[in-house]
Amino acid sequence: MYENDPDVRNDLFQEIVFQLWKSFSSFRGEAKITTWMYRIALNTAISGFRKQTRNVKTEDLKELHLNISDSWGDDREEDIQRLQWAIRQLSEIERAMIMMALEEVPYEEIAETIGITQNNVRVRMNRIREKLKNLCVTNHGT
Amino acid sequence: MELEELKSIWKNSEPGFQSKDETEIASMLKGRSLSIIDKLKRSVWFELIFTLAASIGLLIYALTLPSGALKWTSISILLMCLGYTFYYVKKLMLLNRFDPVKENMRANLVSLINNLSGYLKFYKRSYTILYPVYFCLGLLFGGLERGADEFFERLVQPRTIILLTLIAGLFYFLSTRFTNWYLRKLYGNHLEKLKGLLNDIHG
Repeated sequence: MYENDPDVRNDLFQEIVFQLWKSFSSFRGEAKITTWMYRIALNTAISGFRKQTRNVKTEDLKELHLNISDSWGDDREEDIQRLQWAIRQLSEIERAMIMMALEEVPYEEIAETIGITQNNVRVRMNRIREKLKNLCVTNHGT
Repeated sequence: MELEELKSIWKNSEPGFQSKDETEIASMLKGRSLSIIDKLKRSVWFELIFTLAASIGLLIYALTLPSGALKWTSISILLMCLGYTFYYVKKLMLLNRFDPVKENMRANLVSLINNLSGYLKFYKRSYTILYPVYFCLGLLFGGLERGADEFFERLVQPRTIILLTLIAGLFYFLSTRFTNWYLRKLYGNHLEKLKGLLNDIHG
């Protein structure tokens, strides 16, 4: 969800594994292991990782085009593609929050990972939900 | 559209990546980190090793010279290079302060922005001092190699003074412009992105 280019995605995955490995000795069990892992993965993906400049590959453009031009239907696969497309339109922080929510991470843990209050998470999640709804409706219309 | 509805759609999606086996993970851990702080550390280590190697080369050259102005100029450049190792150590200390593990995303961003801004400020400040010093020493070094008497004789002529002032001004202007452009290209845009992310968290 953070990178479209498969090569950059692999680099990012490798970097996350590397950072998890490097940091494991400092894990003291104060937070849940999943919170700790999300924290490192998101910090690496969002703020610490600098991707190599690469040309945008044609298959990525094709994929993006398909996602945008597909019409809304009853097909489960289409719903998934539309949701993925809509999530990609969000800002990086919003993307991080909705991804955690979709993976059933409790609001308390999202708040702890991002560094905001639980109330703030609730407010932001409502806004994100609205945005996704609008994006899906707009996409459906095209 | 409720969150539960989105979750149920999400659950049906294929995982974004194939799970990796032990050997693949082990080979990943052998690679080099691509994190911005680790990249900066590597480049500072390179600069430090390069400065020390150049200092050793200069020391060997200075030892072969007979006593005179050229020898003393070489030694002064050598001392400056050694003094500059302090600058690299300070840079490494600044970078080592950063530990993304303990922090949540907001605190991590604040810390990264502060560290990178501090690092860039220190980088700019040191080069603002270093460029004129290098220019003067380079001039002195080149002049003395051609002959100290002729060099000092020419140096006091008004035409030479005007010419040198113009060249020094141009050198300073171009070198600082280049450094600013280089820093902005390397880290400035990333720093702006980090500030944007922090604003987004506060938003």
